[in-house]
Amino acid sequence: MNQENYRHESYMNSNNFWKLLGAIGFAFVLPWLFLVVLPYVSESETAPVPYGEGEEVEGGVTAYPDRNLQRHGASDYGREIYAAEGCAYCHTQVVRPTYAGADMWRIGWGGREGEQGDFARETHAGDYANEAVAPLGYQRIGQDLSNVGYRITSREEMHRHLSNPKSFDAESGMPAYLHLYRPSPVGEGFVPTPKAEALVDYLLSLKKDQPLPKAYLSGN
Amino acid sequence: MTVPQPTQEDLNERAAIDRSARYPVMFFFTSAAAWLLFATVMGFMSSLKLRLPGLWDECAYMSYGRLFPVHFNALVYGWAMQAGIGVMLWLMARLTRSRIAHPVAVIVAGHLWNAGVALAVVSIWFGAGRAIPLLDFPGWLWPVLGSGYALTVVWLIPMCLGRRNALFYISELYLIGAAVWFPWTFLTANLLVGEGAAPVAGAGAGAWYLSNLVYFWMAPIALAVAYYIIPKISGRAIYSYPLAQVSFWLLAFLAGWTGISRFMGGPFPAWMAAASGAASIFILLAVVATVANLLLTLKGATKLWEYSPSLRFTVIGILMLAVWSVLTALGSTYVFGRNLQFTHFVAGLDALAFYGFFSMTMFGAIYFIVPRITGSEWPSGDRIRTHFWFSTYGIITMVVVTLVGGIAQGGDLAVWDRTFSVSFTNSVAYIVGRCLAWALITWSNLVFLQQLALMFIGKGRKSAGPTLIHAEPGEVQSARAAAGIQ
Repeated sequence: MNQENYRHESYMNSNNFWKLLGAIGFAFVLPWLFLVVLPYVSESETAPVPYGEGEEVEGGVTAYPDRNLQRHGASDYGREIYAAEGCAYCHTQVVRPTYAGADMWRIGWGGREGEQGDFARETHAGDYANEAVAPLGYQRIGQDLSNVGYRITSREEMHRHLSNPKSFDAESGMPAYLHLYRPSPVGEGFVPTPKAEALVDYLLSLKKDQPLPKAYLSGN
Repeated sequence: MTVPQPTQEDLNERAAIDRSARYPVMFFFTSAAAWLLFATVMGFMSSLKLRLPGLWDECAYMSYGRLFPVHFNALVYGWAMQAGIGVMLWLMARLTRSRIAHPVAVIVAGHLWNAGVALAVVSIWFGAGRAIPLLDFPGWLWPVLGSGYALTVVWLIPMCLGRRNALFYISELYLIGAAVWFPWTFLTANLLVGEGAAPVAGAGAGAWYLSNLVYFWMAPIALAVAYYIIPKISGRAIYSYPLAQVSFWLLAFLAGWTGISRFMGGPFPAWMAAASGAASIFILLAVVATVANLLLTLKGATKLWEYSPSLRFTVIGILMLAVWSVLTALGSTYVFGRNLQFTHFVAGLDALAFYGFFSMTMFGAIYFIVPRITGSEWPSGDRIRTHFWFSTYGIITMVVVTLVGGIAQGGDLAVWDRTFSVSFTNSVAYIVGRCLAWALITWSNLVFLQQLALMFIGKGRKSAGPTLIHAEPGEVQSARAAAGIQ
């Protein structure tokens, strides 16, 4: 009553062990190359695409992506806090194109909105140029943060979102990140630690709507 | 079909193999079960924090953003992979008829792996995580985990080379595949994630790693177990060996293409998510063919389900694999995925894969292996039944609430002018369901750990008959006799 004692047909000989390993490896090589290695190499070798004639961009920006546009104060330290606190488990940073969801219509998610007109666009690879790993996210328990730097513009308000989210929305599912704050030595309220300041810098830096050069769009 | 009975020589040889496997395999099983209990408690705590965000919010270690990755990493590296490694060692030893030559070396490597998992969990908890699912631990840690794995699995190579059978069993194919594919994906993902040279391709590699962990490590080991245990217990030959081979190679050639569809609509070239979605759909052929093959093997002997704990856990495990594959394939099409992406559905699917299907199959294997290597029988059939039903109901609750909750949440998000917080408040009831599911699972695992600990310290039942689910312990010699199948 055991498998060892009834074999059905010859499948592969023992001395073909290395051949078998080869076949198992071969099955894996193609997707490994095309989905992982080649995209990695091509992205790491992509140079910023310069704006063409007549493409006016404010602030002396000459190419997409411009990593300086993605920095704000101590945002490089702040993105580590963002990762360490696991923000990405509840907040995404992806604005999907219209064929893949309604993100672009949701007010404030896709980018600037107001007097200058609607700049909303989906996110592109260059928008994450200043990250270690693009924090695309896991779930949307909270709002998408791709362009939170436009939705919340003042430092004080951002601190209040972190230390007392329920003051904006009583139904909010976000915990207060009180361990990033210390009780104020004078009077009531909280004083931010350097970690909280860096995290706020990072959140204020999140603006993924740099205009795309025509050369970039035609290259895609 | 009549099956040749093993000779006394065969039985002696098997007993010798089991003796050599006793300490290393039990080491992996018991430490895995301890991690499992920790991980399920953390799963409950993290779900509770979603429902009550204000709870302990002055404590850095109690935020969902840290508890969830602690739970997820402990579940996968602590429990699932250790149980899988233990099963791999024993199964390969039995299939190749070779002893584990250096049990002490395997136990030392097992300690290294456990140290790696503990460091990973502690560093995530103390705020050094990277928030990339299952690659959360800091970059310096992967060599510890990697060498722990390599130093264990390297012992499979002499087993394979020294094998005396002329043929490869289908279970061996799956085990060799799993042993080779995991280090490759693990190394690739860890080398590419976090370097900063290509942040988006790095994130893609993370998603690809998650999917490959299921299709290239967990599914092969679970199927190796199923292809071994189902014929063993039912005493029947595998329904179709050619079909088993074809579906193995189908899985092997398609699995590597899955994964990117988790981020469909993301900042990747559109063909990547499309290719992944197509692979997730085509791979259903392999999964459905395999599950059908296994169920047909059992045809006419289904009454065994009533008695044999190993069979019961294994069969429900592979059925969950089928459910997971179908739901994943649905979620990777734009029709369903556009609403289900980034909702509770995602967390539910991951729980179904990493807890549901894989753990149930591993429980099946553990209920089969441990009596053989310790030489005593499980203390209580009732407890096994408790473990089974609490686990099963827990997983079903999890899948149903996250699926329905995901549809509700995704529906709210798809209406562009609906206030965002509506999607959260509407999903609160489903989060309560998620808490309940983890509570059920935690209880089942407490029972399991208690049973396994009794076996570990040698307090198992000394009896000729195995412990069955619906029979007096020791009353019958086998599940086949209890089910009236001879």
